Amino acid sequence: MAFILPLTLIFLTSACKDDDDNGSQPTHGDLSIELDHGWGPSHAAFSLNQELTHPATQEKITFTKLRYYVSNIELTKADGEVWKEEESYRIATVGQSTSGVSMEIKDIPVGEYEAITFTIGVDAPRNTSGAQTGALSPSEGMFWSWTTGYIFIMAEGMSPDAPNGQFMYHVGGFEGSENAIRTTTLNFAGTNVNVNGTGKPKVKVKVNTARFWHGGISLNDINAIHMPGANAVVMADNFIGAFSFDGIEN
Amino acid sequence: MWKPFTRTLFWSLGIFLVINCNRDDDANSEDLNPAVNPTIPSHFPSPVYGFENNPLTKKGIALGKKLFYDPILSADGTVSCHSCHDQAFAFADRGVAFSTGINGKKGNRNTPGLANLIWYPAFNWDGGINHIEIQPVAPLTDSNEMGHNLKSLLKTLQNHPEYPGLFKAAFGSDSIYDQKLLFALTQFMATMVSHQSLYDRYLRGESSFTDKQLRGKNLFDNHCATCHSGVLQTDFSYRQNGLRANSEDLGRMTITNVFSDKGKFRVPSLRNVEKTAPYMHDGEIAQLTDVIEAYSTGIQAVFNLDPALPSGGFRFSATEKEDLLEFLRALTDTNFLENEAFQP
Repeated sequence: MAFILPLTLIFLTSACKDDDDNGSQPTHGDLSIELDHGWGPSHAAFSLNQELTHPATQEKITFTKLRYYVSNIELTKADGEVWKEEESYRIATVGQSTSGVSMEIKDIPVGEYEAITFTIGVDAPRNTSGAQTGALSPSEGMFWSWTTGYIFIMAEGMSPDAPNGQFMYHVGGFEGSENAIRTTTLNFAGTNVNVNGTGKPKVKVKVNTARFWHGGISLNDINAIHMPGANAVVMADNFIGAFSFDGIEN
Repeated sequence: MWKPFTRTLFWSLGIFLVINCNRDDDANSEDLNPAVNPTIPSHFPSPVYGFENNPLTKKGIALGKKLFYDPILSADGTVSCHSCHDQAFAFADRGVAFSTGINGKKGNRNTPGLANLIWYPAFNWDGGINHIEIQPVAPLTDSNEMGHNLKSLLKTLQNHPEYPGLFKAAFGSDSIYDQKLLFALTQFMATMVSHQSLYDRYLRGESSFTDKQLRGKNLFDNHCATCHSGVLQTDFSYRQNGLRANSEDLGRMTITNVFSDKGKFRVPSLRNVEKTAPYMHDGEIAQLTDVIEAYSTGIQAVFNLDPALPSGGFRFSATEKEDLLEFLRALTDTNFLENEAFQP
């Protein structure tokens, strides 16, 4: 029992500090995920308020808004060990002036990671368990008030080829055949990301925003989605295919 | 690898440390903000709402009540929850079919009463809302109701002379964000338990029914309780009752997009039904006697008419209608309608 009191004092004096700079090797580090939004397989320049021509449908498309949930991020080590981020919910918002979105991931155990897994959307439990916080706050505007659930993806804009000159895709749905939650794993193609607690490695991901109109879907087929259902599922399937690994900066 | 005792000690210390580090943030401690036990009547089932994340407290309930009566929640500061949910009418609106929101705009469904909400698995006539904490988002933001933007509302509350202090007293922090706003409103709504009608006292063996009320109860049990089942008089299902067959409102189909759900609405609880006129999702049936008459002779043969209902109607006799009315009046809970705890 004699060791208990000194132990207590050590805990007390160290636990309220902000960081654990006790001189030893760092046990945790950070990385960032850089989402680089491009247009089509060639990854042509993409930005809001710019008219683009769809490489497959040839439709003219101008985005005015693109926001989506990136959630439940996981990193996998070479030995298969998986680290899961707690409370892992973010909204990626393409800005008016830049098409890149950077997401900081903190307190990752140090190590070499070879793959990242993430979900576009919000898992079913967070759609059904009442008022949430952070990126899941209803005030973030990615939430239906009349039929409870998160709007996983908001893609809006204009097109002379859409029936009313506009498109508005609000994609969500978490139940049964309406489930529009999609998860992807991107392997880093042999170039592991090194989380060492000192560097600030980057995982670069390409996002092909032309993917909404994949598989023969045109703006003429679907130009408005305002609730869960078959069209939302089509768009969720298409958009998850938009994400591909681009590179690592250690 | 640790011995169990050491491990326990470690965790005890951990808990101690958490408390220690947050010493100056203890506005939520029991002395300053006592916990309140939810009212769960002995003859009710277990509530759906769990309270784990949002335990009732004296100051949380008081804050929820202040918000409920405060028109600051609407975009132009003119409409409060109470504007359409009046205690004297069992927290339904005051005898109107459609309630009036900001800028004189009207909704398109009848305002339901508020009682026993912690037993509800879903909200609104179409069941589109799946959680009591989330329900207020709809009236707060609907342009026909309070028409507010949540971010602006939170900013207004944050800059208010009183609310930051009240949120700190209730939840331990003066930072106002939507979860805390919704938690506070939920706490007040959770206290709205109607459980002291004559019918409740009859069920608990504390009072007896008159012969008329007993005959009414038997009629109700045989004809109405298939849907209006249990102590809350609803099985929370969505059904087409054939009374408003020409209504253009898609009802449950709005949510499910399934054609067979067209015109189906949630079976409402009948607690305090005498006080919640007019009736049905569109408030088109004015009086309770009219409702009984409609079920007696006005059930139309819609394609998805509920199988529990006879096309045409139940063909009640004049005496049966009177008996049913007597039973329905026994569901009125005067204590609930007059309880000062719900008043501003």
